[in-house]
Amino acid sequence: MNATQKLFTFLLFIFLQVGLNAQTSLPDLQLKDINGKSFSLQEYAKNKTIVFSFWATWCVPCINELDAISEEYEDKKSELNFELIAVSIDDEKTKARVKPMINGKGWDYKILMDTNQAFKRALNISSVPYVIIVKNGKIVYTHSGYTPGGEKELYTKLKSL
Amino acid sequence: MSKKLPILFFFISFNFWAQTEESFNLGFESNAQYYVDDQVTGDFTASDRFRSNSYLKAEYLVQNFTFGIQVEGYAPQALLNYSPQYNDPINIGLYYAQFKNDKLDITLGHFYEQFGNGLALRSWEDRQLGINNAIRGIKLKYKPTENISLTGLFGNQRVGFKVSEGELFGLDTQMDMPQMFKSENTSGSIGFSYVGRYQENESDNPDFKKLTSVFSGRFQMNIHNFSTGLEGVVKMDDAYVENGTLYPDKLFKGNALQFNLGYSQKGLGINATLRRLENMNFYSEREAAGNTYNELIVNYIPALTKQHDYSLANMYVYQSQPSLSFNPLEKAGEIGGQIDVFFNLKKDTPLGGKYGTKVSANFASWYALKADFISEYQRVDVGFLEAGEHYFSDMSLEVRKKLSPKVSGILTFLHGNYNKKYVEETYGFVKSNVAIAETTIQTSEKTSLRIEAQHLWTRDDKKNWAASTIELNANSNFSFFVTDLYNYGNEDTSHRDHYYLLGGSYSKDRTRIALSYGRQRGGILCVGGVCREVPPASGLTLNITTSL
Repeated sequence: MNATQKLFTFLLFIFLQVGLNAQTSLPDLQLKDINGKSFSLQEYAKNKTIVFSFWATWCVPCINELDAISEEYEDKKSELNFELIAVSIDDEKTKARVKPMINGKGWDYKILMDTNQAFKRALNISSVPYVIIVKNGKIVYTHSGYTPGGEKELYTKLKSL
Repeated sequence: MSKKLPILFFFISFNFWAQTEESFNLGFESNAQYYVDDQVTGDFTASDRFRSNSYLKAEYLVQNFTFGIQVEGYAPQALLNYSPQYNDPINIGLYYAQFKNDKLDITLGHFYEQFGNGLALRSWEDRQLGINNAIRGIKLKYKPTENISLTGLFGNQRVGFKVSEGELFGLDTQMDMPQMFKSENTSGSIGFSYVGRYQENESDNPDFKKLTSVFSGRFQMNIHNFSTGLEGVVKMDDAYVENGTLYPDKLFKGNALQFNLGYSQKGLGINATLRRLENMNFYSEREAAGNTYNELIVNYIPALTKQHDYSLANMYVYQSQPSLSFNPLEKAGEIGGQIDVFFNLKKDTPLGGKYGTKVSANFASWYALKADFISEYQRVDVGFLEAGEHYFSDMSLEVRKKLSPKVSGILTFLHGNYNKKYVEETYGFVKSNVAIAETTIQTSEKTSLRIEAQHLWTRDDKKNWAASTIELNANSNFSFFVTDLYNYGNEDTSHRDHYYLLGGSYSKDRTRIALSYGRQRGGILCVGGVCREVPPASGLTLNITTSL
């Protein structure tokens, strides 16, 4: 067996294992909120239904999605009993725009800063927008990309949980 | 077989061990391209028309431990204009083992890290840009109390499948003050960092040290609706490098200063950032200074300008100018700033209309740091807050409005000045205006149509451009698009070229597949403030990302 074959064998084993134990837990990370306060993901997500929406200030579809949800957030939040946390993956180039943007838009979401993208990486996210639903600390739904009307699908999913 | 058995046992045993506390996760991404000959972008003359970059990351988590590996494949070779260091059809890019509890976090192997604003150190990954400057070594994070964190690290920086010759040492402390002055509405933090690079040298100059140090201090404060922050950085003597040649007798210090002030309340947000950079490039190998692949960079200095989303708005993009150089142009650094304003015109007001209107504006302007180059390679007198040559400015306004329950639109205007001579070290100065209109029409509950029209006016460079995109979202899984950029104003009528692209994507759960065919305009591709040259090319592109 040459090195490449060995590597493939190794990867095959990993694949088989993953089939049995796919990732369902939130990573054990502490992120900062918009005011620099520490926030533990696992602790916060206990006994709750949370939608984490990964976004950036330069991502037009991300903003469309958060705008669309924002319009009915008050009603949907109590109807479907969930909370949306918007995770900004903006780095040093655009990080300073996050706070004025959420205020300017009047969004009521809790914002977390994933400045060096540890949370994004832990979930193997390669592009935003990207949404996960976490129920009692477990990831139960994932979707990448946003097209108008996509928020309806999210509500349907939340209703079915 | 005997060699495989232990591995098999190792993996099977995972299933019987601590079921509740373990998990696996896997991420896969592949970007493949088949290049074709084209009358506009030219014949494909390099070897291997088919090329691909693939990444497989596997992590195994058990109780407080995480074990990870990232396998990368560049087969048969990397996509055009990626660093030649990514030269293996398949190899291990990263590996790490981490232990983590409430107070302690230890990583052995490759890791990413950022100190403060990244002016002193940032290791990160961007696959589109071909950047992975993870540090391979050891990282220790310790939190003696809830609000104090200490980080220490040591290692070499990744470059391709090797590591840097220079070694990095880093120390960072941060103290958070969730409630300053016993007030609920006031919070802040202070931090200090040290980053050292140790690299052997064979110079007779006693002043040329093997260790180059960078010190940084910062604070951040939020008081009611105001926020402010400041970071100052000093780089000790570092040898001047020009085109990969080191000048051991020419030593220069560097420094950076970044200030931020913001105000926000419901419906209004303002933020201003000012930055001054002087000889602040910092590499884990001295000779790597100025390399075109963004390799071996220790710190992170993005251009602080608005990151545009539209193709014509990204025609003339600024790149930060932190370096000291004598040739081909004299430069000492940059100075400038940007201001952002966001506001919401409320519903049922004359300007807000039935659904409200969202407005954002940005103004950014950057200049050379004014300096007197007294003698070449010897002495430069740099002013503190004096601006020299104008490098770039950008003024933009964006208005978003919902017109009816089914129709919404975005209007964008942009005025830009781009000093091509200084930014790209070629020639020319480009003044341009761009207008963009886009509308999204929801045709049924799940389907929608997005139409985008763009125009760029300029009397410089390649003159006027027009562009358009039509995107059909069949449902939340399938999406199709066609786009064309047309350089109709080019004075050379034989180069009034179309750059068309058509494609589609499918995304479901954790998987996304995208396929496109067309021409890519050569130029600068920028992601998150870092840019790289991409060659003009035509062909078929396939991207797959999935995770488990």
